[in-house]
Amino acid sequence: MFGNVWTMDGTGIVVVVNALIVSAVLVGLGWFLARGKLTSGVPKGRQVLGEFATDFFLKKARGMVYDYDRDTVVQTVTPFLGTLFFFILVSNLFAMIPIPVVNRPPTSFYSVTLGLAVSAIFGNLVVAARLKGPTGALKHLFWPNPVQFVSEITDVLSLSLRLFGNIGGEYMTLVLVAAVVPVGIPLILHVLGLIPTFVQAFVFTLLTASFLASGLHREERSRKAKHRVFRRKKPEPA
Amino acid sequence: MNTILMALVAVIPIAAGAVVAAFAMRKISVTALEGMTRQPEIAPQLFTAMLIGMALVEALAIYTLVVTLVLAGKIVVS
Repeated sequence: MFGNVWTMDGTGIVVVVNALIVSAVLVGLGWFLARGKLTSGVPKGRQVLGEFATDFFLKKARGMVYDYDRDTVVQTVTPFLGTLFFFILVSNLFAMIPIPVVNRPPTSFYSVTLGLAVSAIFGNLVVAARLKGPTGALKHLFWPNPVQFVSEITDVLSLSLRLFGNIGGEYMTLVLVAAVVPVGIPLILHVLGLIPTFVQAFVFTLLTASFLASGLHREERSRKAKHRVFRRKKPEPA
Repeated sequence: MNTILMALVAVIPIAAGAVVAAFAMRKISVTALEGMTRQPEIAPQLFTAMLIGMALVEALAIYTLVVTLVLAGKIVVS
């Protein structure tokens, strides 16, 4: 019934069309939130919603300004993390739509999750190259441990398989259960499936942010720090 | 006979993966709950850390699910 386990379908058109619908929803949402006058004072109305949406990623990006130019870091990292999170969130929520073919979330295809993981890790490299220069970014792949790039490859695999297994498995369970019991139990599965929907989007973004932070982190070694010795305070003279 | 053997072997990875993941998640949730009762004011941070821990352990169980799916796709009725 499911065809090949990786595409889980006979044709490839469903992936592309669903992913394009997700992108259209995201672009529409972004246009809607950025309309009108935006103030940098006290926000009101629509701007509050937009700021609420980007607040988490701004805080994460501000935590990554080690000794780089703050504006560059925040303006490069925030849209990157925000896009990953909202793409995965919206596409996971497609499983709630009652229309039959659009029902299938694009992240239930391994091709989409592999593409997301590869672009997340490759995006980490690109952001690191933007901030540290290309030699600095490549040095991170080989320096403390010459086989560090294997850890990047396993990161790609684990990110993609985690997302695919959660969302694809949820979709497969829904289809198989609905073939047996059409009414009642699929509702419970839909409600229970809302939890991995949010958690997986959050975890994907959080792990990408952690890999990015560890890639941007620079060890500053100074001569004074190496020779510092802990001295106990001399007791006060009585 | 061959089909029965193939089907039995196909189901072993997910069974073992789910059991082991359940044990690990039990430990994570028990520790998180104890911490939350000890200090209710940091409960949101503990909840976040628990979610992340559970997602990482669940990922291991999902690797075994993927192995099962691949094996189940190769069962041939003979």
